[in-house]
Amino acid sequence: MNDEKSTLLDWFSRRLNLTEIFSLLTSYGIYYGELDSRKPLREALAEAEQRPVALYSRWPRILSLIAVVLIGIELLTGGLLALYYLPTPDSAHPSLGTILRDVHFGDFVHQMHFWGGQLLILVLILRVLRYFVGGMYKTPRELIWVFGALLLLAAFHLDLTGRALPMTDRGYWSSVRALEIVGAVPIYGPLIHFLVGGGGAFITELTLIRFYILHVAVLPIIAVTLIYLHFSTIRRVGLGDAEPGRQVQTQRVLRSQLLTMAIVLTLVFGLLVTLAVVVPKPFQREADPFATVPGIGPPWYLLAPFGFLEWMPSFLPSWLSGMVLFLAFMVFLALPFLDRAQSGSLGRRVVVVIGLLVMVAWVLLTIYGAKVA
Amino acid sequence: MKPIIESRLVKSLLMVVLAGQGARLVAQEQCGVCHPESRVEFDKSRHAQEGVTCTDCHRGDGETLDTDRAHRSDFRSLGDRQNTPAMCSECHSDIRRMRPYNLPVDQYAVYQTSQHGQAVARGDSNAAVCTDCHGVHDIRTVSDPSSSAYTRNIPTTCGRCHADASLMEPYGLSASLVAEYESAIHGRALLIEGNTAAPNCTTCHGVHGATPPGYGDVDKICGACHDQTRQAFIEGPHRDAMIAAELPECASCHSNHAIESLQPDDVVGLCGECHGLDSEQVTLGTKMQTLIGSAAQRIEEASLLVERAERAALRVEDYEARLEESRTYLTEALPLVHTVTLEPVEQVTRRARSIADEVEHEIYGELDRTEEHLGLALFWFYVLMTLVILALLKRRLRVPSETS
Repeated sequence: MNDEKSTLLDWFSRRLNLTEIFSLLTSYGIYYGELDSRKPLREALAEAEQRPVALYSRWPRILSLIAVVLIGIELLTGGLLALYYLPTPDSAHPSLGTILRDVHFGDFVHQMHFWGGQLLILVLILRVLRYFVGGMYKTPRELIWVFGALLLLAAFHLDLTGRALPMTDRGYWSSVRALEIVGAVPIYGPLIHFLVGGGGAFITELTLIRFYILHVAVLPIIAVTLIYLHFSTIRRVGLGDAEPGRQVQTQRVLRSQLLTMAIVLTLVFGLLVTLAVVVPKPFQREADPFATVPGIGPPWYLLAPFGFLEWMPSFLPSWLSGMVLFLAFMVFLALPFLDRAQSGSLGRRVVVVIGLLVMVAWVLLTIYGAKVA
Repeated sequence: MKPIIESRLVKSLLMVVLAGQGARLVAQEQCGVCHPESRVEFDKSRHAQEGVTCTDCHRGDGETLDTDRAHRSDFRSLGDRQNTPAMCSECHSDIRRMRPYNLPVDQYAVYQTSQHGQAVARGDSNAAVCTDCHGVHDIRTVSDPSSSAYTRNIPTTCGRCHADASLMEPYGLSASLVAEYESAIHGRALLIEGNTAAPNCTTCHGVHGATPPGYGDVDKICGACHDQTRQAFIEGPHRDAMIAAELPECASCHSNHAIESLQPDDVVGLCGECHGLDSEQVTLGTKMQTLIGSAAQRIEEASLLVERAERAALRVEDYEARLEESRTYLTEALPLVHTVTLEPVEQVTRRARSIADEVEHEIYGELDRTEEHLGLALFWFYVLMTLVILALLKRRLRVPSETS
């Protein structure tokens, strides 16, 4: 049995560069070390197993790995949903009805896809918070921060485009609310409004098909690329808070890492299944573009900017508040290039305090936004 | 050659028509030279559109500017109100003139039977004549929303006299009837909701024969629209007893102008008013009230459950249709209350309730998630087993760590 297996592996090894293929997988968090792709897979793995490597598989370093697992689940469930979903305003909602009622496990897959997306956003937010608190964006790790922030942004856009697709009333109107917020941001807002059509106030058949393409092709590719770039950066520069003097080494790190991944996969899958069964997202009525459903705010992660826009006095032009949002986002994105303070210095403490104040303001604005929505 | 002949024929025909038309316009215009205000008003009227002229009503000679010749001996100023109905009937009782418009020709006769007509016959110059409601020169059709006789304008038109306390006092009539009507269910339907099928004053009192209905007629008038209710009312004991006791049938409980639909909660007090609060009739009323109230509540609960089922992605079309049927039974119960017998009300409310109960039962069956939750427990058992195995495998791999 064992012989047969190895024969098969050898058979492929002679025809494919399996080591290179595996090396690509390591860029998604399976293994943080480097592989010699010139050697056959068996040999390269044996070598990798012997090489001491910092163990990055412990909480909270595991967040990126969870993000990878969640993205994988989203791709899988999304692919299954795409088998039955029809991206036109007239048939989108009925096709969701078909998925929920008639397709075997359709309801379950839909719930998994929804909750997977929400968890992904949560995990990506936690990841960015951790990078900030741990100061893990200092030279030469600026790109970890930038890719993390961009990945979060991509996830927001995935959720935003996704919730409009089934043309349910709450999904439709929270998308319109979100487009209103995005529209206030200079340059980016008008660009998005042009791209989605309908002036950003309406979701037409063009909007829907564009959202669909963004949701199933463009944004997933961006997200997968950013995750790849993230792990590539980590492989080059390591994570900041693993100080060289305290670097933990163990043998057989590759197998251990694979087992960790299996445990994480099981736990995340278990959590998702539980959420999908215990708190199913309700099936909402079909949206009527001519009847605004009252009391619908933007998605939860956009409540703070929404609260900010609502909180600004109405005599100020909307582009001014939009400009403030835009500048705030640019500062967030460019944080590693702006904050040059050494760790342990007074400047570093000031930055942390400012960051904490921003977080408190974000929470308060979220509460305010939820109240006015 | 043919086209020329044709065109000549057309031309000459046109000239004849135009000449006639011109002569008519000139002829009418003569009165307007001295009476421009009346002329302007008249031009807006339906009569002007149909080619009625000043002299059709006023006689005299319209083709001259000589005032003596214009107001010659047969001219009438029509200032005397009492003669107005007879004057209008010169044309409006003439079947040959009215036939093309499909207008009834008996309205003068009908008017003479009305309270207004009889007062006029008695020489009462305050009673309404044709022009009081229809206007004088600017008479429009009843279907024209700007007409004072248009259905939504009728309450105001009647109110011009009937809401005027000084005018109503000599007749001993209340001046608040129009206001009562306007604030009640029929008035709100007509004036606020814009339902032009809702009754106005004339629907119950008659149009030209306007008269307050007498005892024994009230249920016929209400029954014109509320037919089921009236049938049930006739079946029950109330109608004959009320007529004998000189109580206006429907209006005894529902009032006449301030009509509101009675809710089940109002029933006890109403029955008690005549029968005494501890009578068996009040007990019967309470029973019917309970039957209808509980059926309505069951339907309400079931429809909330249908909404929940819809959110859980169940197919609800069938449930909705059945609840609609159950609501229909409930609606049937309301007219049946007027039989004042328990059995028919019990029968329809039982049907309504049992459908709602059935729908609820079936939805609860479909919404039951016990199997899913058992499955979830089983799933977690396997998840925990997997985790234990993985943890054990990992423990075997772990080698004491060293620090460099």
